[in-house]
Amino acid sequence: MTDVYQRDIGKVMINAFALLLVLSYALPYVYLLMTSLKPAADVQQIPPRFFPETISLENFNTVLGTATLPKAFLNSLVVAILTTVLSLVLAVPAAYVATQYRRPITVLFLLFALITRMVPAVSLGVPLFQLLKTLGLLDTTTGLVLAHTSTAVPLALLLMAAFFEGIPKELEDAARMDGCTRFQAFAKIILPVMKSGIAITALFSFITSWNEFLYALLLTSESAKTAPIVIAEYNSVYGLAWGPMTASAILYSLPVIIVTLVLQKQIIGGLTFGAVKG
Amino acid sequence: MAENRFVCLMLAPSVLFLGLLVAYPVCLLVFNSFYEVETITPHIREWVGLKNYADALTSKRIADSGWRTVQYSVFALFFEFVFGFCAALLFAAIADKSQWHRTIFALPLMVPPIVAGLLWRFLLVGQIGILNYGLTGAGLIDDPGDIKWLSDADLVIYSVAFADIWLTTSFVALVSYAGLTNIPKDLIEAARIDGANALNRFWHVTLPLMRPVIAVVLIVRGVDAAKTFDLIWIQTQGGPRNKSEVFSMNIYQRMVRFGDLGEASASAALFLIVMIVLAGIAYWKIWRPSHD
Repeated sequence: MTDVYQRDIGKVMINAFALLLVLSYALPYVYLLMTSLKPAADVQQIPPRFFPETISLENFNTVLGTATLPKAFLNSLVVAILTTVLSLVLAVPAAYVATQYRRPITVLFLLFALITRMVPAVSLGVPLFQLLKTLGLLDTTTGLVLAHTSTAVPLALLLMAAFFEGIPKELEDAARMDGCTRFQAFAKIILPVMKSGIAITALFSFITSWNEFLYALLLTSESAKTAPIVIAEYNSVYGLAWGPMTASAILYSLPVIIVTLVLQKQIIGGLTFGAVKG
Repeated sequence: MAENRFVCLMLAPSVLFLGLLVAYPVCLLVFNSFYEVETITPHIREWVGLKNYADALTSKRIADSGWRTVQYSVFALFFEFVFGFCAALLFAAIADKSQWHRTIFALPLMVPPIVAGLLWRFLLVGQIGILNYGLTGAGLIDDPGDIKWLSDADLVIYSVAFADIWLTTSFVALVSYAGLTNIPKDLIEAARIDGANALNRFWHVTLPLMRPVIAVVLIVRGVDAAKTFDLIWIQTQGGPRNKSEVFSMNIYQRMVRFGDLGEASASAALFLIVMIVLAGIAYWKIWRPSHD
């Protein structure tokens, strides 16, 4: 009897701990959301309060009323979409042959992708700046897309390679038996089967670009500036303008969080399975 | 041989792309590191051999920023790992009912780093940082002004890591959780029947089986922590008095603020080599986990 009783207490304790832990992790972001909903004057009140006394959209109106932030959001969106498309076009075919037609060169290629993931952004940023300058692509969407794709492609390659591992070679053989060329088999038979894997890879490429800061800081100055750069500039331009800063931080991060919550099962699978398989 | 042509055609676009945008810049980086050259006028250059490397290796500011990178990474990694692993054990203990816990816990995972940095700066900063009011309320400190997280020169390199810990504990937790659920139940049951208590079961069964997962987590997060730029930049821009300047920030400053492309390239090349060697050693250990 006592044993069962002790186990119950143990279970309650574990549940309580887990809940406490989860809540304490969510708390900072909830506070950010609460702060953005305060009237601008209350944001920096001393002592600070967790919940707003009155709910106000003043901070959101301020940042959306300027020309800079909406334009930066548009830039971010365009860059992220183009980066995603380009990364998929480059990585999906390569990952396919790298896993289904294994030979020394494809193994070497995947190893190169892996090493590329270790390269610090700042080390590549320095020469990329010079390269884009030579090509006349500094402060352009094209230039930033190229830079972001160079980070997204290795990630997309490794993710897609892991997904293609699960496909039996017989699938392509069967398609070829029916008279498809290798390329037709890939385009018409294999790709449709890989829809969900491609979707997850696309999402990760998108987020890689959407969240990226250092390249955007180095390689853009005015017309191609993305959202994180503009948000960071509230630091210096407006001194300590915490109100607009929290509002733009919410606008910038909430869409990604909502998408994540909706697709969380697939995303967490994508994030963790590479590591666990290793 | 049609097969080989197919392989080449499918590989070619990404090989060309990575060649132009990764391999070529790396060569350019190494090339630049042997020259005295300024960021705004890369066409005017003078060969100086290994001088940039010698300068980088003897500069106190660079050595300090390198040491700070180690302090930051070790501190962040330690807490991320302890918190994340404990969370994973908790979630595994309540198994099926942990679905919602894990969903909420995964939230920081998708927060952009600069938002996490801003958020934590807001929690810690001067008079309005709510954390110190919380600590005062809990009776841990006497006055909210007692701890100056972001302006205390000795403390700042650890304070800026809070955002990192908050942001990536979830990654450690979710990966560890996935690893824990892969451990066969009957192994643990067998140990229980043999009379091993909970601590012994953890130490002799769970932990050894989790070794590969732990190693991957430590490498992936270790590399990321050492590369950190945006998270710290947004909180302090390296201040006060460069006391939170890590290595990547030092490279950025020398290239952009001081316009010294040659020296920045030499440090960036050194950084690259150290990261690849460290990751290589670590991967080697994982690939051959049986060789103790």
